[in-house]
Amino acid sequence: MNSPPETPSAAERPAITDAELLTAHINGDPHAFSEIVKRHRDRMWAVALRTLGDPDEAADAVQDAFVSAYRKAATFRGEAAVTTWLHRIVVNACLDRMRRKSVRPVADDELIEAAERDTPLPDQTVEREVSMEVSAALKLLPNDQRAALVLVDMMGYSVEDAAQVLQVPSGTVKSRCARGRAKLAPILSHLRNRTDLNRVSSAKGAELRDG
Amino acid sequence: MTGDTHYDLDILAELAEDLLDVDTARQVREHLAVCDPCGEQLADLAAVREVLAATPTPAMPMGVALRIDRALAAEAETRRSGGVGLAEAPDWDELMRDSPWERPVEVPEPARLGAAEAPEPVRLGVVSDDGTIVPAKRRRARRPRWAMPAVAAAAAAVVVGATVASTGLLAGGDGTDGGSPSPVVALPTHESSHMAKPAQPRAYALTDSGHNYSDQELRQPLEGFFGPAPIVGGATSDAADVDKCVSRVASRTDLHTYAVDQGQYNGQEALVVASWKDKAAGRLRIDIVDPFNCKNLRKPTLGRW
Repeated sequence: MNSPPETPSAAERPAITDAELLTAHINGDPHAFSEIVKRHRDRMWAVALRTLGDPDEAADAVQDAFVSAYRKAATFRGEAAVTTWLHRIVVNACLDRMRRKSVRPVADDELIEAAERDTPLPDQTVEREVSMEVSAALKLLPNDQRAALVLVDMMGYSVEDAAQVLQVPSGTVKSRCARGRAKLAPILSHLRNRTDLNRVSSAKGAELRDG
Repeated sequence: MTGDTHYDLDILAELAEDLLDVDTARQVREHLAVCDPCGEQLADLAAVREVLAATPTPAMPMGVALRIDRALAAEAETRRSGGVGLAEAPDWDELMRDSPWERPVEVPEPARLGAAEAPEPVRLGVVSDDGTIVPAKRRRARRPRWAMPAVAAAAAAVVVGATVASTGLLAGGDGTDGGSPSPVVALPTHESSHMAKPAQPRAYALTDSGHNYSDQELRQPLEGFFGPAPIVGGATSDAADVDKCVSRVASRTDLHTYAVDQGQYNGQEALVVASWKDKAAGRLRIDIVDPFNCKNLRKPTLGRW
């Protein structure tokens, strides 16, 4: 799988765009697609994990999605971003799984595991608790509301981007988010005054927090 | 405003998203100006966004990334061998349904063929309810070699360790790289007998001490408990079950499983799975799982050998 250093793969040319990589993949570049995967897998994982709430299911969904994208690359039309396209596939894979079977309930420890893997945080206990509560709360939502909230509130996408990914009008995304938040508010309200919330973990979080 | 009419969270959430008609929105705003409880509710709603945004999203675990790499490698293999159309599982079309990027004209016929042959492409998930991968049975034949001393087993753990974590990938890969028309689906029944691959050595030492572990004991060097018990050889169905749970644990932890003991935890049947967290330092991660569903019975903990 490793290419010899003298023939730099697409992966080593940083300036190349996703769309170019996809084209290279379609044209038979054996490394192009793995670079796309490398670039986006963490986000895709996060989306799947939060949408499905189950690491095993999420792993299956992301794998399905990437293999699907690999096969279907030729059908990608350049008018949307590659990331949007990928998200769409991942979200579809997740919704698909949820539709096929009610995803089994997850033991808390698995959620902890999932949350702590590869993200060693100095003060894990609080974040972990929050993470678990959030995961549990998200499960109470209908699938469409959860998918919308994961994209917009958790992953920080604009309503418009989420609408593109979810294939529904922006207004629908807004109302799904609104209904989802209304359901979560009583459940998560006790976390409101947690000091650690001021320590928002991402720029997009800070943005949201500061309006 | 009389003060006894409040707006419910749905209305407030819609207000926040600017979904209310102008008149209603104005009414609600006027109410909010004078009503503390509703103001609180609105703050709760804002907090939901904040909490969600602040919840850390973990990176993809190595085990999963590896597994995807393998699936894609298998896919590339299929592609090279010209089996693209044949290997097309209907699942993908299902997944891509409604996608604006799809060009319906180009949906290849073979995809439909696939659909006819494999009405339940769901299997692609490969993971059954308990999270195991079907071909667990393949490993039957050659167990006696397990009667190796723990030290040797440890060496094996280092070398082969990764395979334990990736049982899933193997299954996925096997399904696709043969170019068979219905990937992954047919594994369980006929293949196990004649398709048995060279048995993969169990990468950990399996013991059956029956010991009832307590929290306190888990803090002591584990060798004292695992060590004296005889290594379990042979391929009992028991061992296969253990294997299931072990690979399950390994895929969760991304660590090399070193040793596994069948015992009890606080009086409950349990598998004690020890995986190297830091081999040099002799630090192990200990997962205590129930042997039936592979669910953790307690929080994984750090231990020593």
